[in-house]
Amino acid sequence: MTTSILTYILGLPLLAAALLVLVPANYRVVIRAIALAATFVPMLLAVKMFSQFVTGHVGYQFEQQIPWVESLGLSYHVGVDGLNVGLVLMGAIVAFAAACCSWEIQTREKEFYILLLFMTGGILGAFASLDLFFFYAFHEFALVPTFLMIGIWGRGERKNYATFQITLYLSIGALLALLGLIALYVQSGAQTFDIPKLTAYLGAHPLAAHSQNFIFPLLLFGFGILVSLWPFHSWAALGYGAAPAPTAMLHAGVLKKFGLYGLIRVALPLMPQAAQSWMHILAWLCLGNILYVGWVAMKQKDLNLLIGNSSVAHMGFIFLGLASLNLIGITGAVLVMIAHGFLAALTFGLSGYIHQKTGTLQISQLGGLCRPLRFIGVTLLMAAMAGCGLPGFANFVGEVTVFFGAWKVFPLVTTLALWGALVIGAVYMTRAIRNILHGPVPEKWSQLADATGLWRKIPYALLLVSLLVFGFFPSLLTDKIVPDVTRIVAMANPVTEKPGVVALSEIKNLKSALPN
Amino acid sequence: MKLEALPWIILFLPLLATAVITLFTLRCRTKSSLISISAVVAGFILSLVYIHANGWHSEHTETSRTWLSIGDLHADFGLKLDALSLMMLLIVTGVGGAIHIYSFGYMHEDKSMARFFAFLSLFTFSMLGIVLSNNFLQMFIFWELVGVSSYLLIGFWFEKPSAGDAAKKAFITNRLGDFGFLLGILMVWGLLGSLNFGVLEAVMTTNPAALGCCATLAGLLIFCGAMGKSAQFPLHVWLADAMEGPTPVSALIHAATMVAAGVYMLCRTLFLFDANALHVIAYIGGFTALLAALIAVQQNDIKRILAYSTLSQLGYMVMAVGLAGPTPAMFHLTTHAFFKALLFLGAGSVIHGLHEEQNIWKMGGLKKKMPVTFWTFILGTLALSGVPPFSGFYSKDSIFAQALHQHNYVLFTVAVLVAALTTFYMFRLFFVAFLGEPRTEQARHAHESPKVMTLPLLALAVFAVIGGFIGIAGLYGAQFHLEGESLTLAQQFLEPLHAPFALACGLGAVIIGLIAAFILYKKAATDPLPARLGWLSRAMRDRFYFDEIYQATFIRAHDFIASVCDLFDRWIVEGACIGLVRGGTDLTGRALRLAQTGNLQTYALLFALGVALVLYFALGK
Repeated sequence: MTTSILTYILGLPLLAAALLVLVPANYRVVIRAIALAATFVPMLLAVKMFSQFVTGHVGYQFEQQIPWVESLGLSYHVGVDGLNVGLVLMGAIVAFAAACCSWEIQTREKEFYILLLFMTGGILGAFASLDLFFFYAFHEFALVPTFLMIGIWGRGERKNYATFQITLYLSIGALLALLGLIALYVQSGAQTFDIPKLTAYLGAHPLAAHSQNFIFPLLLFGFGILVSLWPFHSWAALGYGAAPAPTAMLHAGVLKKFGLYGLIRVALPLMPQAAQSWMHILAWLCLGNILYVGWVAMKQKDLNLLIGNSSVAHMGFIFLGLASLNLIGITGAVLVMIAHGFLAALTFGLSGYIHQKTGTLQISQLGGLCRPLRFIGVTLLMAAMAGCGLPGFANFVGEVTVFFGAWKVFPLVTTLALWGALVIGAVYMTRAIRNILHGPVPEKWSQLADATGLWRKIPYALLLVSLLVFGFFPSLLTDKIVPDVTRIVAMANPVTEKPGVVALSEIKNLKSALPN
Repeated sequence: MKLEALPWIILFLPLLATAVITLFTLRCRTKSSLISISAVVAGFILSLVYIHANGWHSEHTETSRTWLSIGDLHADFGLKLDALSLMMLLIVTGVGGAIHIYSFGYMHEDKSMARFFAFLSLFTFSMLGIVLSNNFLQMFIFWELVGVSSYLLIGFWFEKPSAGDAAKKAFITNRLGDFGFLLGILMVWGLLGSLNFGVLEAVMTTNPAALGCCATLAGLLIFCGAMGKSAQFPLHVWLADAMEGPTPVSALIHAATMVAAGVYMLCRTLFLFDANALHVIAYIGGFTALLAALIAVQQNDIKRILAYSTLSQLGYMVMAVGLAGPTPAMFHLTTHAFFKALLFLGAGSVIHGLHEEQNIWKMGGLKKKMPVTFWTFILGTLALSGVPPFSGFYSKDSIFAQALHQHNYVLFTVAVLVAALTTFYMFRLFFVAFLGEPRTEQARHAHESPKVMTLPLLALAVFAVIGGFIGIAGLYGAQFHLEGESLTLAQQFLEPLHAPFALACGLGAVIIGLIAAFILYKKAATDPLPARLGWLSRAMRDRFYFDEIYQATFIRAHDFIASVCDLFDRWIVEGACIGLVRGGTDLTGRALRLAQTGNLQTYALLFALGVALVLYFALGK
């Protein structure tokens, strides 16, 4: 089998990280150039892969499998289907943007870039792996640098506390998920870590109900903690508030989606019965994210804490989509995962810029920044609008699809979630805009330097354009996602869906009868 | 359908203009404005070409592409081109075009003129999107885009704190309405299984009870959207503050087009509403009309008077929809677009001529200084007051007739009362601001605006005068009732005589209002009403304290919940839970430390105890 493009995508950053070890620490330009190249090329490759992806084809593409420990059924196995092709693309774009934004790091640059590349390789590997062992191991590769980066290059008074908390939470979450995955391996009896094989095997020999009931909560809460599911969310805003911008971009944007991806890829299709019984609870828990954390975000006085909380709130929409367990809801969830990746990276990148220029993110200290920082201000305004679900940006498509999916199953929860999406989100976002960008410019900020030149603008422009492209043409993603989600939903719902009040065929008849 | 590509071009031209201005010509003011103006004017011409080729009522009215298709969620990107949307297309591009041209003069001094025109084109795109949508989801998308372009334009002078606040308020209030709107859309989709207007109408026609017990609720939820956009009570509070935006914006968005979107949406989806829902809609409309007219009587800012008048007229339109009269509603929407845009642009001309003075009591004697503005403003005032044969007379009369036709005498009385109030406050504004002697130095040195501003005034004035009898009502009538009865010009001219009682009441109201305004304000140096009305006058001036009430109740309650969550998060979730984990670990560590004394005898003792324990278990059995 030839080497898959995916191996290059995830291998290049790791190789470059190893290469950087050999470069002397005072060759700063070289270090930066290597880091940029080692994220830029994978991004191009990811775009190529995305455009070559055959739509409508069920199953994995760009696969590569190298057996490793055959007695355990372990192998290096990568591949993408509709579910993760968009995530890999998003991860690669965000990684390049994060590398671009890393010019804010002024100390111990060599170590920073090594960790950044290591994290990038881990993230892309986690999303590309089709082997449970590598899937998990790559995630840990990415997670450990996160803690180090916050601890060493973090900012703010509460840096150490934030590092402590994020390490504690994420380690516990990862540990629970690991327990669940090992239990799954043992209980399945398939003697393989290979996800496609495991899925096929468990499709034919479903797990016993009691095993499912034991393993599913481990995965739900293990992965859930990694995604800041309420009430295990308090690490997120604090951690992102203290993290350097590139770390926050990569973690909040991409790495955090690992837990969600794991739930969709592993937990839902392999343990359908347990999933059915837990989804009601998940639907209510997600309101904790959407409403409760949304309200918390309204009260934040620090821009990064606000963005962090808003990011936690957005996770609620993804959980709501998952909880609906139908094609529309889960497709919407995948859309929000991708859209939010771009958005979180964009907002953290922008707040990093503002922090670097002003030295503060206290909202009361800022104001009128749209005048001196035209490009950054306008981009932040658009990001805030994307954050409160404005059409045109990819987030809207994802969120509205989630609502359509969830409406059929949980009308009450959907109603409350809508309040969070349309009202609470608008309140905190417009307040932030009013206090940061609008109003008179304080004397001390009137001479701030805007991002000028292509180089400085590229990371923000790239993320913004990605949001717009998928917002205008969501079918670029949905056409790829739908066939695979259909398969997963079929496994997760052994019983067929109930027909609506008006049968679909009836509507089609009516439609054809209409003059066109 | 002939020339199928044309509507797509009309729709996307303004978006293209926005993109080009934002990306390339942000530094060049003239070029940017010309790009934006030509996009909308081209849209107007192409609309005329399209209508000429296809007629108003062509057989095939839809053209669409699939935008999003996931399972049974199917959303097209489609255009619906019937008389209703074509007429709106002409209003948006025609009235919009006039306002674009006017803005070229009005904003000429502003450094950010390029940004202004980029936003204006974005708005035009969004508004055209609403008008042409053939399904609910697409309409919601453009609905939101209109909301955001209004947000951007209200906050155009964002360095002014009041502008920033007003923009925020408008956005959030609109979002409250959209919350209901999207819920309504979800409900309709859940029950009927489609988003397409044509399909929904077909389902509702074959089975009027398809919405079952949710019919009223679904209707009212959809109406929430209109309540936000068209600023109906209780979400009316944002419109007056929106006057912080530049005056052309007030004319285009907050008078002629965007605020009418709610009414348009109601007419587009009228088949969904059952009798109960319509009843509620009618009363909310009537109440808003009365409330806003009362507030307008005691405002002193020329733009705020017009803003409350807009609210009041929107109330009329919503009331007409609620009275099952989409034709009068759309008729009034159209004529209102002409004369209200005219009045706002006239006000803008006055503000421009007086160097940003907006208080009518600091104006006066503008007749000689600003003749074109003066004469066009009086035409607009006459049209708004409903003086025959101006356009407002015909459309308002059709609403009165509709109320009578439905035997709803309460709303009929309200409508007539509002007509009297309208005449009163408009002539108050007119007498104080335009007649008499100049009250201030600025008014003495007022100057007429340049041609680029007065020509759009003249164009709009023509339609404000003749709009009532050139077949607009007939077009809508054919759309909603499918009877192809076309009237000659003379018949239309005399149409109001079919309902003589409504005609008489309407004319009576105008005469009373006019006489009252004449007596009170013809020679007044200050406003005599506060002394005569006392607390009522203060309440009117302070907008019946709605802002304060909302501030004290809803906003404070919502903030209170947020504070509780924040404190809970800080002290319970973060403090107690993390504290427990940390404290617990800490405590265990301390406890275990007690065993690690470093004392050999202690270790020996523990070791011996351990051996004894193991032996006990091993041998004890």
